Amino acid sequence: MDRSSKNSGGKLPEVRKRKDAPAGTNSQQTRPNNSRANKRVKFQDARNIRSQPPDAALDDGRLDLEKFLKAREYEIKALESSMQKCKEVNATRVFQQVPRAMRRRTASHNVKRVPKRLRGRARREMIEDNTPTVESRRRRPRTTRARIRAETAKRLGMLAAKQRRKRTEKAAVEGKEVAATPEVIQSRAPRPKIRRNVLNDPPKTTSKFRKRQVNKTWLPTHLWHSKRARMTEPGKPLWRFAIPLTPTEKCYRPTHRASGQKGAVVWDTSYMSTIGLYGLTEGAKRVLRALGLTQEALWGARGQKWRAGLRKWSGFLSKRRKDGRRNIGPATIVWNPEAPTDEGESVESTPPTNSQKQLLIRTHPACFLEVFNELLKLARMQSPQMHIEDLRFEIGSIEIVGPGSTEALIGILKPYYDNVEVEGCQGRIFESLAEVTNPSSLPKDAALAFSIRDPRLSYPPKRVAIPSGMDQSLVETLTNWPIEQHLQPYGLYDRNARHKASQLPSQKSINRRKGSSLPGKELCVTSADPPIPIMLLASRPEMTGQAQGVWTLLAPWKCILPIWYSLMHYPLSTGGNPRLGGLDEQRQVAFEQGSPWFPGDFPGTDAGVDWELRSREKRRSAWDRRPKGKRVEWKSLELGGGRKGEVGDGLACDFEYLFRLPKGAESNARVMGSSAGDDPDSMELDHPEEGDRVLSSKAHPPHPFAMIAHITKSVFNEFTSAPDATTLPQHSIVTVGLGFVSRGVANTCARIYRLPTRAQFVSEPSTQAEVPATDPPPPTSPEALPYDLKEQWLLKLQPTSQQRGRHPPAPPRMPPGADIQTRKRLQARSISAGEFPTGPKAKANQTDIGTHPLCPGEEDLIGFVTTGSFCLSEGKGMAIGSISAEKAAESLKMGAEEGKLCIVRNAGENVGWLARWELV
Amino acid sequence: MVRLKDRYLLVNIVYTDVQPGHAKGPVSDLMLYNQPTTGELKPQHLLKAVRSEVNALFGDCGSGAVGGLQVKYLSQATSTFILRISRDHYRLVWAALSFMNRLPFKDGRPCVYRVVRVSGTIRKVEEEAVRRAKLFILAAKEEMAGKPTSGALDALLRGKEQGRSLAMVVDDDGDDLGRDDSEMGLDG
Repeated sequence: MDRSSKNSGGKLPEVRKRKDAPAGTNSQQTRPNNSRANKRVKFQDARNIRSQPPDAALDDGRLDLEKFLKAREYEIKALESSMQKCKEVNATRVFQQVPRAMRRRTASHNVKRVPKRLRGRARREMIEDNTPTVESRRRRPRTTRARIRAETAKRLGMLAAKQRRKRTEKAAVEGKEVAATPEVIQSRAPRPKIRRNVLNDPPKTTSKFRKRQVNKTWLPTHLWHSKRARMTEPGKPLWRFAIPLTPTEKCYRPTHRASGQKGAVVWDTSYMSTIGLYGLTEGAKRVLRALGLTQEALWGARGQKWRAGLRKWSGFLSKRRKDGRRNIGPATIVWNPEAPTDEGESVESTPPTNSQKQLLIRTHPACFLEVFNELLKLARMQSPQMHIEDLRFEIGSIEIVGPGSTEALIGILKPYYDNVEVEGCQGRIFESLAEVTNPSSLPKDAALAFSIRDPRLSYPPKRVAIPSGMDQSLVETLTNWPIEQHLQPYGLYDRNARHKASQLPSQKSINRRKGSSLPGKELCVTSADPPIPIMLLASRPEMTGQAQGVWTLLAPWKCILPIWYSLMHYPLSTGGNPRLGGLDEQRQVAFEQGSPWFPGDFPGTDAGVDWELRSREKRRSAWDRRPKGKRVEWKSLELGGGRKGEVGDGLACDFEYLFRLPKGAESNARVMGSSAGDDPDSMELDHPEEGDRVLSSKAHPPHPFAMIAHITKSVFNEFTSAPDATTLPQHSIVTVGLGFVSRGVANTCARIYRLPTRAQFVSEPSTQAEVPATDPPPPTSPEALPYDLKEQWLLKLQPTSQQRGRHPPAPPRMPPGADIQTRKRLQARSISAGEFPTGPKAKANQTDIGTHPLCPGEEDLIGFVTTGSFCLSEGKGMAIGSISAEKAAESLKMGAEEGKLCIVRNAGENVGWLARWELV
Repeated sequence: MVRLKDRYLLVNIVYTDVQPGHAKGPVSDLMLYNQPTTGELKPQHLLKAVRSEVNALFGDCGSGAVGGLQVKYLSQATSTFILRISRDHYRLVWAALSFMNRLPFKDGRPCVYRVVRVSGTIRKVEEEAVRRAKLFILAAKEEMAGKPTSGALDALLRGKEQGRSLAMVVDDDGDDLGRDDSEMGLDG
């Protein structure tokens, strides 16, 4: 045995914990043992540092410079080689060499998951470490169900084989040749049915995946995403879609960097819903006005471009109710330009005719049904009637943000038509934007629509040549934006064009064509490659500043996947590829730009109510799961000043508490679709999917939360400028962004207080002269807060308040090295200086919390934080929240500067931090 | 998982039985102080000596605490060795080394054990040893060339922080990591 030879070599320790296996056992068992021993020898060898005997540094017993230096050199070499060897022999597995973003969990037990060049080593390591490698195909079924399934599959296979054999025998007897493959009848793919005024069915999927999509729909890129991102749980889809929540790799900081500084982040937002609205111009105008697009700018000369289809409109839709308007959710609306009737006629000069119009309304799936029902109601009211189409599974979309976004899009979206006459010049203009690093530098709300080639024809995508230096022509393009030339109706609105684009050639045929052409050469467009109609929308973040804009790419549902593949492989000029993002990243990017995210930050809309109730449930179950000692006990929270217990529900943005609404009988009753004041006859529609849920919620009385109404910034501003002319709806809230003045980070559900306002009980002026004016006496009753609480908070505004605050400086310390006499003298002086307490000391947390001002009382509660964390773009705590509009307006009367100050306190904590709110 | 934390001590043996300025011929003072150690010195001898010193200073409790003492590297040619000891007790070993003044034999040569670096990883100790060896080479060359003030020698004596004076280092015994314990001046 080779082991005995090793033992005799003296490298292994003599005493072994484990006995050797008897000689008769099979080699399979002894091998790992043996290799472990080998490894041990290897480690010991690597950790051994070579050294020299003293003779090496001596020249025949005498000191010698030459030898002295040689010995040091030898030592340096020995130590360096030891460091190197130790590093090499380190216990790393070969799959750790794969870049982090490309690692797969299965690589630890499946060699096929590591790159080919590493497979040999991976295999060897797995054998050495005795890794269990089981092929799932050969695994024995564990559960009864799996066993029955396997047995059935086996029996079916046997049956099929038997039938096949019989058939061939029969054929042999009859003397006929059996056709190797049955004849395939080629047929035209059916055009998907889009019914008018009715919700559409999700696309038919392959039978293999159909069972998994009973309660939800997969995005076109689902298979790609499910390998790289955490998806919604199978039983709990979000808005009836399986949506990627966050990539499996850690990506908080990389996403921040890619979205703002270098790179790009891409989302498959095909879950966003699109609705088509068709009818005459006047009717469309009336419908849109009824949806809240009442700004005069939209319908006057300034809205001309929007109505011509050259710009998009993004904003909040609202619907009418008995008691005023209620906001639904954000939407983007784009008109379809009309075909030019005359050659010389330009858009500006066309008289407003009452012609047939087509509009796309893109909205969030959380409020889709609400918008759809409202639109349906409005469209039927028009005469002649308009009609709407549910284009949810017809049009998919991709969103991309970051400095590299424009470049990446240009790299993969190649205009189909070279001729400007055919489709206008929008494709060409888009191609000239390669230098643009921020879509917000485009004209506001720019929309571009053209047809592209199949991106697989030029796969893998190549880096776009970016002209160096600011080109004058680009500046000209951006200012003039000459996209009206040869304007044609957009292909995306055309059902036939979308259908044609969905018939892309198979990947197999593309591969075959690639194989027959020269390597690295792009494929030419043939008649088999249909043009893919797309639309690009550039949006600017709400907040002014240098924040990155977002590109939204709309394309037929079936074309999203090839575009996605190319986009994810585009080599950015700044290095790397566009990053993948999930829902969490979308929220993160919105938060870092200081804009609210729908529906989470809009608790005053039905979709937001639903989201808030859902997240309440989630928070509660997480809280319930924690052991008692490790969770916040809301009742025993000490807020200071004798107050005990959290204000409202600690696990909720408790707007019911804020507005003193009655508590719901069922806290988890869902509010969906329609709430109080909605027209009941809108429910006559048949809802193949949403129906069950809506009807079930209809049975319950609406949650009190649903009585809260969201108002937009403009409505609020109108109210504050003329409070007598306009009135606020009851229980209205307005969304605000919060920035902390100095320290502090807010979490979701944090409480927002205004500065203390109530008329304070003023204590009698004290007769004692010694009492310093800055140190107030403790309040007389335990409930009373210090009368100068507001001043205390305002003092926090000044940066130096910590140094010269109202708290006495720390007592002087004894100088080091003082002898006993000095010590005595100092001690005596400190006593005689009057360090006596001025009165009975206040109890802890009575007037302050560890020298921090107390939180204001409940009457000063104005709202709650819906999103909050440390903001990487600002470098300090930021938050998005909602505050009562009435109280916000009240506090604004104190002054624009002071009125916007507020105090934010996390739920379950007793220390609040000063912040400033700003309408968003 | 509990991780066992260790400290590695890089120690130089400096011979004190040489009179300063007695170097003759082609041999400098530096070489005299840092001359090679006899080949009889084995790791076992060092361990035994440190343990007995710890026992003498700290009693049974101390000698029990330094049970895990190990010699990771011993180079007689350069009179350098590296000790490993658990993090909680490295000061006992350091103290014991400071009190030892001979090679661990009967009538061993008088010497001083100078701890030049304490670190949590052997890598950093090795890097320091390499740095010092390089400085030794420089200093020896400079001294042989006859330069009165040698920068490399200064660096060797003072350690990494150039600005610190010896007096401060002596005062500052509260520090534990990466500080040079250089009260044993060469001209002492």
